[in-house]
Formats: sequence, C-alpha cells, structure tokens
Amino acid sequence: MNLLRLQRYANRNSYLFALLLLVVVLAINYSLQPSLFELRVLNGNLRNWFPLMLLAAGQTIVIIGGGIDLSAGAMVSMVNALLVGSLLTAESTPDEVLLGALIACGAGMLVGAINGFCVAYLRLQPIVTTYATSFIYAGVALYVLPRPGGAIPADLARTYRSTPLDIPFVVYLIVLLILFWLALRATRFGQYLFATGGQPNAAYASGVPVNFVRFLTYVLSGLFAALAAIALTISVSTGNPRIGDKMTLDSIVAVVVGGTRPNGGQGGIIGTVMGIVILGTIRNIISFANVPTWSQTLVDALIIIAALTGPGLIRLIRRRFQ
Amino acid sequence: MKVSLSAQHIVKRYSGVVALADGNLNVESGQVVALLGANGSGKSTLSKIITGVVAPNEGQLLLDGRPVTFASPQAAKKAGITAVYQELSLIPDMTVAENIWLAHEPLQFGVRINRREMRRRTDALLDLFSGAFHTLDADALVADLPPDEKQIVEILKAFSLKPRVMILDEATASLDSRQVDRLFNLIQQWKAENLAIVFVSHRMEEIFRVADRATVLRNGITVGDVAISETNERELVNLMIEASATPRRHERTVAADAPVRLSVRGLRTQALKGIDLEVRDGELLGIGGLQGQGQSELLLALFGAIPWTGEVTLSGEPVHFRHPRAAMEKDVAFVPGDRASEGLLYIRSILENLLLPSWQRYGIPLQLDRGRQDATRIADDLGLVRPSMDAPVSALSGGNAQKVVIGKWLLRNPKLLLLNDPTKGVDVGAKAEFYNLLNDLRQAGTAILFYSSDDVELLELCDRVLVLHDGKVSAELSGSDLNRANLVAASMGSGHMNHEPA
Repeated sequence: MNLLRLQRYANRNSYLFALLLLVVVLAINYSLQPSLFELRVLNGNLRNWFPLMLLAAGQTIVIIGGGIDLSAGAMVSMVNALLVGSLLTAESTPDEVLLGALIACGAGMLVGAINGFCVAYLRLQPIVTTYATSFIYAGVALYVLPRPGGAIPADLARTYRSTPLDIPFVVYLIVLLILFWLALRATRFGQYLFATGGQPNAAYASGVPVNFVRFLTYVLSGLFAALAAIALTISVSTGNPRIGDKMTLDSIVAVVVGGTRPNGGQGGIIGTVMGIVILGTIRNIISFANVPTWSQTLVDALIIIAALTGPGLIRLIRRRFQ
Repeated sequence: MKVSLSAQHIVKRYSGVVALADGNLNVESGQVVALLGANGSGKSTLSKIITGVVAPNEGQLLLDGRPVTFASPQAAKKAGITAVYQELSLIPDMTVAENIWLAHEPLQFGVRINRREMRRRTDALLDLFSGAFHTLDADALVADLPPDEKQIVEILKAFSLKPRVMILDEATASLDSRQVDRLFNLIQQWKAENLAIVFVSHRMEEIFRVADRATVLRNGITVGDVAISETNERELVNLMIEASATPRRHERTVAADAPVRLSVRGLRTQALKGIDLEVRDGELLGIGGLQGQGQSELLLALFGAIPWTGEVTLSGEPVHFRHPRAAMEKDVAFVPGDRASEGLLYIRSILENLLLPSWQRYGIPLQLDRGRQDATRIADDLGLVRPSMDAPVSALSGGNAQKVVIGKWLLRNPKLLLLNDPTKGVDVGAKAEFYNLLNDLRQAGTAILFYSSDDVELLELCDRVLVLHDGKVSAELSGSDLNRANLVAASMGSGHMNHEPA
C-alpha cells in the first residue's frame, strides 16, 4: 500500500528525477567550491538565477497547457528596454518605480495576449507563431532603447541584494513563486490547465474552455516575462535591448529538466525552480572545473537528453519490477 | 422531475451522403429505450444529434414538448442530456476524482477546489460499483486503469452531472458480466429516480434484459418502435434488415484442392480472444460483424503491425511477423481503411505513391524509368483516371485515390491481400470497379481476407464470411447460410436464425 502511494506520488510529482539530479550536481559543485552554501555565495547565485526562474515559471505554464513560448526572451528584452529606456531613471521616486513596474507587467501581458490570441483563437502553430512574434518584440526593444545604457534607482538593487533575517531576499520571492503555483493548482484553472495539455479533445468534451485556457497560458507567460525583466533590470541596474535573447532556450531547458512533460499535461513550477538551480549549478561546475566554456552547450544538450530519458527510464524500470 | 425527449424526422447529410433520412426516437422518465440497427443504419449519428455533438439538417428535437437546438455538447449537458461514449473522454494523467468532476469541481470560497469534498463524492459514486472492480479508487491515475474500469469512470462521470436523459453508447462493451449486472441494477434504480435512458448496444441479450422499448433504425430511417415484452430477437433482426434484402449471390466455388495460403490457430491480441481461420488461394474470405469487434486488429496482427500470440502458417510455413516489413517480404499486402492517414501521401504524386512499397526493386540501382513503366501499367490496368502520373493524389476523386492505395500493393504481386474496410466512403461506381478488380485478383489466385463494415458487400462478394463478435468468431457463414438475417443475428451475438448451428 505504501509502495502504491509512493508510486502515485512519483506519477503526480514528475520532478523526482530533477530532485535526484539536483542533489548530485550540488554535491559536485560543493566539492569543487566549499563556500557554495555560504550566505554570500548563495545569495549571489540565487540573484543571478532568479530572473530566469521567473521566465521559466511562465514557460512551464505554457508547456503544461500544450504549447511553447519562443518569444519569452524577446519579451524580457522588450520590458527591460521599456523600463530603462522610457519608464525609469536613476532619480525615479518610489511611486514612479511602482507605476513603471505596473506598466511593465501590463506590457508583458499585452504581448502575451497577442501570442495567445494567435495560438488559441487563430489556431496558428505555437512554435512558428511565437518565433515570429519574438522578432516584433525584439524590434520594439531596439526601437525603445537603441543601444545599451541607462540606469535605475540604486535602492532597488540594494533591496534585491539584502538578506533579511540572514536569508537572501530572493529566497522570499522564490517562496512566493511556489505559493503562487500551489494556489493556482488548487483552482479550477489549474485543473483546466492540466486537462487541456493532457488531452484537449477529452477536455473539450468535458466542458473545459480549451481555447480560453490556452490563451491565458500565454498571457501568464507574458506576465512572468515582465516580472523576469523587472528582476533582471534591478539585478544589472542597466538596460540592454538584447539582454533576454539567450534566455528563451534556457527557460525551456529548465522546464524540461524540471520534469515537465514537453508535450504538456504534466509537470509544475516546483520542478522548474529545481531545473534552474540545476542549470546554474552545472554552469558553476563548468567554470570551476576549468572546462572550456565552449563545451557548455554540449553539456547543456547532454543534460536535456538525460532529463528527457530520465523519467521514462524510471517508468520502464518500475514496469519491469511489477 | 419528469422529462421527455423526442427526436422527430431528423435528417443528417454528410457532404451528399445521407446518414440519417428519417430518424425518430422517443424516451421519457423511467424508461430505457434500446436503439438498434445494423452497421451504417445511423444510430450513432442519431445519438450524436441528441447530445449536441452533431447538428441536424432537418427535423426537430423536443425536450419536455418544447423545441430545442443544441449548439454544442455543453448546451445539451446544460439541458440535462449526457452521453457515455465508447471513445473515452478521460484525461489519462489525471486522477479518477479529477476526471469525474472536471469542469464541475466542488469549490470552496468560490475559487479553491475542495479536494476533500471531491474525494467524498467520488467515493460515494464508486460505491455504486463496489466489489465489481480491483484497482479503482479516487486517487488512481486513469492511465493506470484497465479498460473496464475506465469505462466505469466514464459512466460515473456522466452520472455525476445529474442528467435527466442519459445515452449509453455501447457502454457495456468492455465490462465483464459482474460489472454489467451492477450497471443494470443501477439502471433500474435510476429509472425509479425518473432518469430517461437510451441504450445503444450490440448485445441482444442485454437489450432484452434492460430495455423497455426498442427503436430500430435501418438505412437511416426509424422502421420500428416496439415494446420489448411484445417482441423477440427474431422480430428485431427482421426489422433491422430489409424484408426483400436477399441480394443476388453469385455462386462461386474455390477448387477444394487449391492450396491453403493462410492458416491461423488461436490468434490472440488485446482485442482478439482466439481466432481460427483458413484461406485458400483464389478465395475471398469475408470478415464481418459490427464495427470494432476486432476485425481491424486481426488484419493488423497478420500484417505484423501489432503484437499477437498464436500459430500462423503461410503456405504451410509457420511465420510470426513482428514488423510489416517481414510480412511484405512474404508477399503479404495490407490495404488500410483510412486512406487519408494510413494509405496515401496526399500531397505527393501518383507515381511516388505507387512506387512507395517497391523501392527495393527500383531503388538499387536506381531504375526510375522501369519504375515509371510498371506504375503506369498498373494504373492503366486499374483504369485510374488521372491528369498525369506526376499529379498529386489529392487531385484524384475518392474512388481513384482508393485505386492508388491498392495499386501500390499490386505492384508487388501479393499472394495474400488483407483489406481493412477498403470501400468506406467510396462512391457506388468506384465500388463496382473495385469489385471487378477483386474478382480478377482471385482469378489470378490471390488469397484475400476482406473486412467490410458493409454487409451487402460481404454477401455479394464472398465465398465465406466469418462474423466477429467481442473478439471471437461468432459464426462462419457460407453457402445458403450466408444471408442477411444470419449475418445480422451473428453480429448481434446470437446464433443462426434460419438454420441450426453447424
């Protein structure tokens, strides 16, 4: 009976393989860099990873719903350019900062809604659509902020780096992110999301508003891209119209490594959070182990393959022993 | 609350083909109406119209005496009409409870799903079938359930909507006898609670156990509405077939000394429960029965496309194909039922489609000219009407496209031809040409195993017909036994009507 419960738990929580991988890579990283768990190092790492974590959280929702968002990185670039290029300066007041952040979120949701409209209602193919729209968003970024530069109030970065109660500020934000996910799962939309990604026809026949759910996943992805851009802007305190370009692929890799099924219908943001930590840790290892950086891509690819086959292997082994 | 549903003079046409010409059905609270008909009689079209899946062209639906139209399945559900279909509407990666309550989850504070309540209600529903299943519980993943338990979940899901009218479309097909007993007890209980039930089944025995009335469809027309207590199996079967329906049979005999091409003993797959058969060279053996009784699986297994156990000998040599390629090497050819997805590459040329299975012969060394000559010869033999050999298959009519499907295998000179309902959606003229082609092939000594969902076709073409029912051969008909009444009776799982079983 306990075995059955464990098995069901493993089925529902597809991130168990990611958890295993996480322990392994952390152990390796720790052996190369004994200071890994010191507050200063921990805070630095998490701060660097957090923007991508937010972006990948949005990507997770889209992928569970059966889609993919290749414009995620371009949306980050666009919002970063908007923030630095037209909304904020180094002398902005807290009120202006808040307003700027709200406008940034609105812009993210708007471009997400464009993606969602094309995919859910015009029935365009998600890969092609979001790849195409990514050029529009990248173009907007370059239009708003033609070259890198600009600044934001320094207080923001100070808060972002702080460690209230000897815990990095970012950890509180990660906890909020996970709470958001657990709350989302507990709503009807959570059920609809998994049903839509799992078997759209059956979901439709059961009365799930499949198109609207798909649309919302892209809006949420846009919102998370905006939040990622805000975090990134604070973290680097400047603007760069191409800052998010490389983030799209990383966000997808993190989602897959975190145990979310690439075809949709299974997975979650908790796994994605682990996926980000795994990716970041591996990059740490590469830099500490004096592996040439050009092999980073190769390692990334191997990790994706391992992550894709890992859960399948577990299932295969389980079947063998039944 | 009492309810009555009445479908009146429903007409449904699919691009010119009349699926339903005059469909009528009446059901009211506390009644079980069985909907019967042979293949293609329109019973699934009628039940889809009632549940809003398909919109009718003419006629009207009356709910409690008032005309209604359903734009979608959801609209019908809101009006209290739900259906349990054979093609399951479950999400494999979600739990039993999540599936049953999908889109009508019990909520807390208006937003949060009340999982405890959901589980409690699910357990209450599962209690209805308690003792009749093994692994089923509220937290089990649907993907892990066997087919019968999935079916139970499907039934409970429909019931969880508190329907007023429930349509059970072959809902007993994958249930065992104990589960069927339980379902029938529930149906009696639901009747007492004023539920109206439409019961579509291919099992005569079940219809007589559970139904109060039977509505019989034939060729898209409701031809009878009788009280079960005042009828018998024979009368129902006679209603299902046309009174004058004894198509002229062309007596053909296969030389008794023709060599046995294919012999099958105890063939089993997931759907098949032990099939024995034998086909001689030049014989056209028909496979009949209602759709989905394992006919396609039989052909696929023989072609090596799905795993199977049992003994198969081809020309006296034991074989066990594990891949279609192995079957092709032994001169077996398979013509799939679904042209669009399995038979043709629509956007590629006729030539390419014809040569696709034969590249071994023309590929090494590349002999495009010879390939083109042979393909053209086959196309001419088949009377393929075509703009040119290089025109895409999508430019052809349905009948001509079907010729390409068969032609690509004829190029390999098959000794055994497996046909999986090849004339579905083919117009009458093209069918006649196709029949001539089959006759030519048998003259040439090809052994043919021919599954068709069209009973008339089987009667006209075949020497012998095996009728499949629930994955078993329920009858082998030949000679004077091979008539419409026997065919229909056997496909409903009952014995011979006119003759003693052989």
